Amino acid sequence: MFKITHQELEEKAFSIRRDLIELIYRARSGHLDTSLSLVEIWLGLVYSDFFQYDPKNGAWEDRDRVFLSEGHACPLQYLINAELGYYSVNDVFTGFRKPKTPFQGHSIRDLKCGLENSNGSLSIGVWQAYGHSLETKRSVFCIAGDGEFQEPSSQALLSVPHYLKPAPNFTLILNDNHLAQDSEVDLGPIADVAKLYNWQVIQIDGHDLNALGEAYLQAYNEQDRPTFLVCRTIKGKGGDPENEGRLGHHGKPPQNDDEYRNYIAGLEAKGRV
Amino acid sequence: METYGKESLREAFGHALVDAGAKWDDLRVLDAGTSNSTYSQFFQRTYPERFYTPGINEPGMVGIATGIAMAGNRVVACDMSVFLHHAYAQIRAAARQGSDMHFIIAASHTGIAVGPDGGSAHDLTDLARMRLVPGFNVLTPWDGAHVRQIVNVILEEKGLYYVRLNRPKVPIFLKDPISFEIGKAYRLREGNRVTIIASGDKVYNALEAAEQLGDGFADVIGIATLEPLDTDTIIASAKRTGRVITYEDHLCVGGLFEAVAGVLALHHPTPMRRISLDRVFTTSGDPDELAELYGITTASLVKECQDFTKS
Ligand SMILES: [Mg+2]
Repeated sequence: MFKITHQELEEKAFSIRRDLIELIYRARSGHLDTSLSLVEIWLGLVYSDFFQYDPKNGAWEDRDRVFLSEGHACPLQYLINAELGYYSVNDVFTGFRKPKTPFQGHSIRDLKCGLENSNGSLSIGVWQAYGHSLETKRSVFCIAGDGEFQEPSSQALLSVPHYLKPAPNFTLILNDNHLAQDSEVDLGPIADVAKLYNWQVIQIDGHDLNALGEAYLQAYNEQDRPTFLVCRTIKGKGGDPENEGRLGHHGKPPQNDDEYRNYIAGLEAKGRV
Repeated sequence: METYGKESLREAFGHALVDAGAKWDDLRVLDAGTSNSTYSQFFQRTYPERFYTPGINEPGMVGIATGIAMAGNRVVACDMSVFLHHAYAQIRAAARQGSDMHFIIAASHTGIAVGPDGGSAHDLTDLARMRLVPGFNVLTPWDGAHVRQIVNVILEEKGLYYVRLNRPKVPIFLKDPISFEIGKAYRLREGNRVTIIASGDKVYNALEAAEQLGDGFADVIGIATLEPLDTDTIIASAKRTGRVITYEDHLCVGGLFEAVAGVLALHHPTPMRRISLDRVFTTSGDPDELAELYGITTASLVKECQDFTKS
């Protein structure tokens, strides 16, 4: 299922969470809690056996695409692409949120760095990713937030494969952490809506690597329909346990050394598995 | 003035896309439910498998178009101009992907030339909106022949392009279309009393006015690229005549007038006047009737030039 062992994946999840905390604390800005909720989702995807990429040739035509629509999760994207060999993790630490670097506060399309799309405003990347899937033979995965699905145009995307083109190579991944910037999110029957529009709908725990691996494979093998992969996640997962799944931490890095230590302690308490 | 028939800019564009479809296999055309108004339906009929419509869904159309352009295809997204307001965030996001792609937005039904559908349907701010998005080339073809030529050039060179088309049949006056270069303004007639700077199909009216004003009176500059603007040609003409009038079917806000005023204010302050619309919502009416009502006819330009040069 994965290119590396489950244990190695868990270790990567641990070290990437540590780097996220470190990176965003040092930068004094960035969206830590969103990034923490996506760690397994992103690692599980890029380490899936089928997933093709080439860090030496980012524009490789046969690469599988990962669009990030909820662009504020880009710290995770930057660290994972370092892990994949597009550049060094040190580049991310020195460049994050600094002028004229590839590591802006929201992603800027840069294929040689593995950054598939520029993002920022919500509900736009999902459409671009879907459009992209119409004209590539490879798989296109798009990561979107649940808050992003409050945008009417995101919800409209669910109906489009029905009357435009089913795009079986398209997988929409929902980071369903039930929180947005200033409020809780309840998308109601959104999975049922997708089913009615004939998506392959898969609902899993977004921190369960095995479930993720199986779901990605199922999406990859699907021949007729796009896949809507609803991943139940916890915002702030694996950081300060006091903040996990709680409102009020969106885009708010640890404010001082004490808060930073609470994040690290929370992470270490869960251990390396 | 000699003309060679009449054709609407949108119709010329529709035909040009069909020709372009034969030349470029990778060309994809999209529309948001207005294909029989923009005439993208010509392409749809010829190449149904290369045409996409998400229905009446402008944000979706522009988003999908962007994604297709990011896959390496040549892409043209067509719509009636006023509806593109819905897609402004997506247009900005498209430009944010960078200009290393073939991405064209074609807007038909601009200006009061739309006529009886009324003020809700007249898009008189499209140039202002598109000028605000870094990276976009903002193009204003003059006649049907010009449209065909421009389509060829912009499908050849990668970049982000906005093409302003419109609804009514307008005179074809370019017999042998001058070689179109992006970013170049064209001096179409020489004069030394006043400079007329016109864009889109108003270039024809500007030449008509210059003819009526007599030999050597008006220097006429045709603008087919509003962004990036050819400042050298504008400044050179302003230096020659000392008076500049801009002429467009657009509000006075954010379009040709303010673009030219900005250039001259910085580089060669010159007395200016404008033929354009005040910052108002317009009314229903026949296009000619509306041109009269809002003072953007050839006759209004002639009168303004005469008045301007009295002093
Ligand atoms: Mg959320």
